[in-house]
Amino acid sequence: MQGVLEYQGGGTVLHRAHPLVKLALAAVVCVGGFVTRSLLVNLALLALSICGGFALGLGGKVKSSLKGAGSLCLFLFVVQLPFVRAGRTLVPLPFGLGITDEGLRFCARFAARLLGATLPLVLMLGVTRLSDLTNTLVAQLGIPYRYAFVVTTAIRFIPVLFVEMRDVIEAQTARGVELDGSFTRKIKLIPPLCVPLLVSCAQRMENNALAAELRGFYLRKRGSGYRRYPLTGSDALLLAVCGLVAAAAIIT
Amino acid sequence: MIRLENVSYAIESRELVSGVSLRVGAGEFAALAGENGAGKTTLLKLVMGLIKPTGGDILVGGASTRGLRVSVMARTVGYLFQNPDRQLFGATVRQELAFGLDFLGVAKDEADRRVGETLDLLKLDPDRAPTSLSRGERQRVALASLFVRRPRILLLDEPTTGLDYRECVQMMETVSRLNREDGVTVLMVTHDMEVALDFAPRMLALSGGKLLADGPTRGLMRDEALLKRASLVPAQMVALARRLGIAPGEADDALSLAAWVERRAGVNAKGGMPDAGRP
Amino acid sequence: MDSLILLEGVSFRYEGAGSRALDDVRLSIAPGEFVGVIGPAGAGKTTLAHTLSGVVPHVRRGDFYGSARVAGLDTVTASVVELSKTVGCVFQDVESQFVTTMVEDEVLFALENFDVPRDEIPARVDRALADLNITDLRSRGISTLSGGQKQKVALAAALALAPSALVLDEATGELDPASSVQVFGLLSQLRRERGTTIIVIEQKIMLLCAYADRLLVMDQGRVVIDGPVRRTLEQPDRLLSLGVNCPRVTTLAARLREKELYHGPPPINLDEAETMVREAMA
Repeated sequence: MQGVLEYQGGGTVLHRAHPLVKLALAAVVCVGGFVTRSLLVNLALLALSICGGFALGLGGKVKSSLKGAGSLCLFLFVVQLPFVRAGRTLVPLPFGLGITDEGLRFCARFAARLLGATLPLVLMLGVTRLSDLTNTLVAQLGIPYRYAFVVTTAIRFIPVLFVEMRDVIEAQTARGVELDGSFTRKIKLIPPLCVPLLVSCAQRMENNALAAELRGFYLRKRGSGYRRYPLTGSDALLLAVCGLVAAAAIIT
Repeated sequence: MIRLENVSYAIESRELVSGVSLRVGAGEFAALAGENGAGKTTLLKLVMGLIKPTGGDILVGGASTRGLRVSVMARTVGYLFQNPDRQLFGATVRQELAFGLDFLGVAKDEADRRVGETLDLLKLDPDRAPTSLSRGERQRVALASLFVRRPRILLLDEPTTGLDYRECVQMMETVSRLNREDGVTVLMVTHDMEVALDFAPRMLALSGGKLLADGPTRGLMRDEALLKRASLVPAQMVALARRLGIAPGEADDALSLAAWVERRAGVNAKGGMPDAGRP
Repeated sequence: MDSLILLEGVSFRYEGAGSRALDDVRLSIAPGEFVGVIGPAGAGKTTLAHTLSGVVPHVRRGDFYGSARVAGLDTVTASVVELSKTVGCVFQDVESQFVTTMVEDEVLFALENFDVPRDEIPARVDRALADLNITDLRSRGISTLSGGQKQKVALAAALALAPSALVLDEATGELDPASSVQVFGLLSQLRRERGTTIIVIEQKIMLLCAYADRLLVMDQGRVVIDGPVRRTLEQPDRLLSLGVNCPRVTTLAARLREKELYHGPPPINLDEAETMVREAMA
């Protein structure tokens, strides 16, 4: 999981594209998956993301997100499937449950949508520096810097939190704590796992805010960003792709 | 007590530890030294069983860590993390110590007795809140919460980092006493060569995941080539003794060096007589 | 010489705290000095650093008495932002000080915020990176760097604004000895080449003695010893009673002095110690 949300350098067209265009593309593919009623379009969008990911040199990220989000989707698929009663029953199960054709379609679409929404975001963050994203959100969309900063800080802290959580779990298991056990035992584990995590996160956030303030955070204005982001011909082309995807999703 | 046989550990095809073989006997005190990223902490986690080797085998007390749960290991092995705040959560020091026994199924009065003993041994106030203590005191609380379980092995990850001198001395003297009096085996990661020299008779030097050298701390600190390869800075008195051409082990602390200088000064004053004391 | 930093009778008590974190601190630091600060936990070292950057009393609030001036600015009336142009800070937990994900962006951050003219920015970034010999790390992700490299990035980010003073609060704690020596080497190079005033809070007494020219020892909110490194080292017993260690070469000098074999000033590094011993034997 570690590093999945991090920027990975490269020289492809998408790496060089305007950050907002990349954001739009990711958003269109995400939302498109929810708008369309055709499973085929869902699968096509998913295939587009996977192929796109490999073409961008982000194969590792694609694999680990498929592994992470994929296992969640599979779990939901299996759990939901017997409970959908509509449609023609294909495999009857006890307790009045069963697998229906409608259930299969519904659950498959649900899984495809979920996966289809995760991948574009992961890929977008993989080819876009967070500061470029913040700068354009602030300069071109007029979002106040502090909000953009909060969002990017949250994204930055996700891997940090993962590491911190792993360390706390390691530290407590080294004291003899059993992570699996009865329910009452699990309840007892909440303070030893949560208190150190909260304390260290609070400390980190506070230090981070202080460091930002000492380097002029409150002085930052809409035009403070040094880098400029001109739109290029390939950006126009990518926007056209966005339009196509949107159209395909709406029609189907 | 601890035996590593050709141990390797890799994540995502990057080798963090490669081909390390070593033995640490019962009651030994050994320091693990090396540059940042040399694999010291990884090695310590491997011994604890927090991570399992991708190659080779680790035996602790005769049993392979592969098949052992960490919670079982924790009965005989105590692991002190560099940052005590990852462990501490209790409202009082006493609570923190009792928590370590909770998972061992120790009877109530036995648990109380052990907590009491440990509080005395480490000179801790049972009713203070761990959060109100200084970093050095919190580190000692973390050590105490390990020690109530009476481990036979202590694994320490930079136990003196972030401590002031007084706290550092207190910490190391406690560990040293546990080692001397109770025969606890200690394996300690440290960057502080003065601490290594003062407390650990044996040193293991790691670099790039490989064990570069294993031997007496005093001896290794004189090995110029090794120091360079492992980016170690030797303890001052050892470095000075080497520069002065003093034989290894003859004088490598301030007191014995001063005595050595005195003898030599006496010799020089008496015109090169080999024994200044003779009439 | 005019002082860059002037503290007169500064006392500070954090909101809700019982005792004073700083107690009647008087201190004058001239431009270009390299000052080491040492003392036991809770002595007020970090509060002193925060006073210089204006974090105390603007962000960490409490009762502030006395006057603190940094480059002519009164830290109570000046804002943290004004002060941060003069004082750059690097704290203990380097990891939580980064505000971006890339090395270059980290250095850019302050320059962008402080409205440095656009055409000056590339040169300032280049220089900050070059000063710390990390030009090759420019487009690396911060999370991919080693501890020592991260430390240098944090220093470069603090140096981008070309502050007159740099304050390091136990910033080399996590580094191995060789990397710590490297950081101290860079600090003294900065002082030499750019005249930057360096204030380092540190427990590694040997490094402080080898690089700083002045040592402040703090205890219970007070500056109890303030003087040239060598003179401070002449009182090893007093240092020990304050919970401050001496370099072993200094302890050796004290032993030799007891035996009346040596009468010179205490050595601060190995070369001097060797000379001392050879002198004592002659």
